[in-house]
Amino acid sequence: MNGLARASIRFRPVAFAGTFVALALSAAIVMACGVLLESGVRATVPAGRYERIPLVAAADQALTYRVSDEDTERIPLPGRARLDAALVPRIAAMKGVASAVGDIAVPVRDGGTTAEGRGWGMAALDGTAASLTGRPPGPGEVVLTGHAEGTEVRLVFGDTTRTFRVAGNAPGVWFADAEAAVLSGVPASVDAIAVTLSPGADVAAIAKDIEKTKGVRAYTGSERGELVEPRLAGAKEVLTGLGGSFGGVATLVAIFTAAGTIALAVAQRAREFALLRAIGATPRQVRRAVLAEGLLVAPAAALAGALPGLLLARWWFGALRERGAIPEGVRLAVSPWPLLAAAGLCLLTALLAGPLAARRAARIEPGRALAEASVERTRPGIVRTALGIGAVAGGAAMAGLAARESGEDAANLALGVVLLFMLATALLGPVIARLCAALFGLPLRGAGAPAELAAANARTNARRLASAMTPIILAMAFSSTLVFLQTSMSHATSGQVRDGITADRIVRGDLPADAVGRVRELAGVRQAVGVLSTSVLVRAYGTPQTASAQAIEGPVGAVQDLGVRAGRLEDLAPGTVAVDASLADGAKAGLGDRLRMWLPDGTETRPRIVALYGRGLGIAQITLPRADVAGHGVPGFDSMILVKGDSPDLASFGAVASRAGYAEQYDVDLAVNAWANNTMAAVLGGFAAITALNTLVMTALDRRGEFGSMRLIGSTRRQVLHMLGWESLLVTGGAVLLGSAIAAATLIPMIKGLTGEAPYVPPLLYGTFAAATVLFGWIATVLPARAALKIN
Amino acid sequence: MDYAVELNGVRRRYGRGRRAVHALRGIDLRLPSGSFTAVMGPSGSGKSTFLQCAAGLDRPDGGTVTLGGTKISGMSENRLTEFRRTRLGFVFQSFNLLPSLTAEQNVLLPSRLAGGRGDRRAAREMLGRVGIGELAGRRPGELSGGQQQRVAIARALVGAPDVVFADEPTGALDPATAAEILRMLRASVDELGATVVMVTHDPAAAAWSDAVLFLSDGEIGGSVRGGSAEAIAARLVPA
Repeated sequence: MNGLARASIRFRPVAFAGTFVALALSAAIVMACGVLLESGVRATVPAGRYERIPLVAAADQALTYRVSDEDTERIPLPGRARLDAALVPRIAAMKGVASAVGDIAVPVRDGGTTAEGRGWGMAALDGTAASLTGRPPGPGEVVLTGHAEGTEVRLVFGDTTRTFRVAGNAPGVWFADAEAAVLSGVPASVDAIAVTLSPGADVAAIAKDIEKTKGVRAYTGSERGELVEPRLAGAKEVLTGLGGSFGGVATLVAIFTAAGTIALAVAQRAREFALLRAIGATPRQVRRAVLAEGLLVAPAAALAGALPGLLLARWWFGALRERGAIPEGVRLAVSPWPLLAAAGLCLLTALLAGPLAARRAARIEPGRALAEASVERTRPGIVRTALGIGAVAGGAAMAGLAARESGEDAANLALGVVLLFMLATALLGPVIARLCAALFGLPLRGAGAPAELAAANARTNARRLASAMTPIILAMAFSSTLVFLQTSMSHATSGQVRDGITADRIVRGDLPADAVGRVRELAGVRQAVGVLSTSVLVRAYGTPQTASAQAIEGPVGAVQDLGVRAGRLEDLAPGTVAVDASLADGAKAGLGDRLRMWLPDGTETRPRIVALYGRGLGIAQITLPRADVAGHGVPGFDSMILVKGDSPDLASFGAVASRAGYAEQYDVDLAVNAWANNTMAAVLGGFAAITALNTLVMTALDRRGEFGSMRLIGSTRRQVLHMLGWESLLVTGGAVLLGSAIAAATLIPMIKGLTGEAPYVPPLLYGTFAAATVLFGWIATVLPARAALKIN
Repeated sequence: MDYAVELNGVRRRYGRGRRAVHALRGIDLRLPSGSFTAVMGPSGSGKSTFLQCAAGLDRPDGGTVTLGGTKISGMSENRLTEFRRTRLGFVFQSFNLLPSLTAEQNVLLPSRLAGGRGDRRAAREMLGRVGIGELAGRRPGELSGGQQQRVAIARALVGAPDVVFADEPTGALDPATAAEILRMLRASVDELGATVVMVTHDPAAAAWSDAVLFLSDGEIGGSVRGGSAEAIAARLVPA
């Protein structure tokens, strides 16, 4: 029988083209997501200035949170955690350690550029010392580029401005070690400790010794890059999220659509199987033949999909890097694993869908070979229908639950909602198709012969209809959810920014802490508030969550209208915090309660809540006094000063924008974020489009005989094409409607939870979506049919 | 006497209750080995159901079918399938051949399905006998309708079956080609001693047979032995 399967594929490849295309596409999607996932898991950056240092000790850059007695969770810290400087001599004294040097970063501005200054002790280790011209820096001296030896240079630090004498020239900005410690603002601590080893010392053993101190990690080999490039953790998260979460959904969609295509391809060959049965093939032999065909096609399809998948991953990776989501130095990891996963998935799909379709094929009564017409008679399986109804019920229940929750909780439930509904769609495809045919068929009656024929065809060929509808519904549901989640969030955020910022002028740049005081003294400035933008971790929804935060210097109420719902912003003082109301809900904390929170460097605090506000999404979820975060892993400079009033001298501090200009710039930043979601939607939409096209072409070619007999009984070509046009409208119209309904069931609770508003769906965008789907379906139906009619 | 086909009270009905269609209302017949029988009747007379029940492609609701001395009623699906491929031959109106296999492979298919390697010499010989020995390597797509039917006849005969069932074997062919196919079936009976049961609506085709059975409304309405096409046609028209 294997010979039969081989012969079928070899000499009638057309019959397998549809299956092949569907499997290859699935393989491409899995391949792309697999490569991105693997790149995320394995992402490293070069060790950079630690290249020549075998071991770097630094604080653990993740918070270890005990979820339950057995279970802990590690959450990357939003800022840099530092080590006690007293650890430097202790490590230096360890056996096998040749030297230990405290590495301190000092954010410093020289004219218009910001750099990280360091203590000269590191220069000997990272190789900078070799390129020095002049002397190493002593107290009150600096080594840098762009200034002649012996001249004086004014350097701006986060909380001070000082003049230094240039001792020499070398790449970077270098101070005497003791001075760097003072300038960093956190004198008794270091960012990291560079450790060199005595000849013959065992790196692993020393690393183990060092890690005996609580909260200290030893970074060796490629791990050192994590310390040099703090964006690496974020990039890993982006890539694994893309490859894992999106990849998971996409894989699910791919499996379902490919399985549908396989079923359709087998159904189209019903007569062949009936003949086989008549001349003496047992049902088992027919099943095995179908299975063997699947197993022969699957590996080839996986191979064919590999290259497009790899190209998609490369393009996606490159685009993410261009947008700054992935730091330079991180490479796309290409190994055989994603290809194996893709091949495995293709085989699995063929193995799962094959027997199902084959069972149907094997059950074909041999007598049907005698019958000229092959009318679809199969009823959807009971198990399948029951599972589908279960998924619908589960999705509806979850949507109801999500509607009552708020914030992250609702959003997480909503993801379950979309997945359950998508699962239900795949399972109930033929039932849905039949319902749609019945529903949309009604108005088609009496709309002329072609329309009536289309309705009748749809009713009698529900399975065929379903395999075209399912991918469109799935793509419409998921893509709409992604795109309109983005538009809703952007809309809400942008609205909050416009309502929330009441300052007249916004000065942005790397601003020293004393700048706000100087701005206040300018003529024409009535009030000014310094804002340092950062992130903190807040215990909400059960675990520490990253929350955007603004550390402020000055009366924030004068320049921002945060939409206070309870309490007073005026009460904000060290040890207190103002919180976005929905985040406070998630943290189960109210006015006057203490909020469990971790500063960017992982220091735990419990400030008292003095105000709850509504515009956290657009401005910041946490507002707290600048003094409470200083020295806790926040950036060295403030990010903006909000000014009430105006002065021409503002421009000397940084880039000045009006309130409207600031809001516009904010929208541009949001558009960059939207790219990620829109790309996911486009990839899945493209996948669905090709799958639907594949199905529609398969169907049109299979129906050549039907078209021929329609022509024989006197239908004009135009009438045949009209009938098909109506059919495609039925398919796409039904799919768009159902997909939109699923998206709505998902989005309404999700958006309500996240923003407190209804989803924002730009009518023009949605209209374009729907119209494009319908148009595409029409083209994909009518064009192959036209070709088929020409052949006749 | 030795009967190749025996039907006793064979009934077949589709659907249930008031809407039930009685396709066969109790057929009793015996066809001797080495005979060529045509079954005729208007559309809806139960011709196809008769053939399917007689050939073990469909299961009667009542009565028994015995082919070549073996009672096939009550056989398991697998035994029945095995029986079909070793003891029966089939020629259908169209779509007789698997499009992906060559003529020779199609002829060999039943024996391959039975797990054997297939007797290639016998297949070639049979293709030669039906006059297309030189086309053995072609696929159905490269053969004319008449040539495809010859391949189907070769496949039906190669295993020396007890009975060959033919369902409108000339229905899709022009008269000249149809005559050749019928001559071939006739020859298989006369020269190879095969038993042929053929369903047709064409009196000219039926005239090649030894006996014509007339079905109407699920029952045998009569028979004619050795009639000419005109006599058969006259019998078809209700008096």
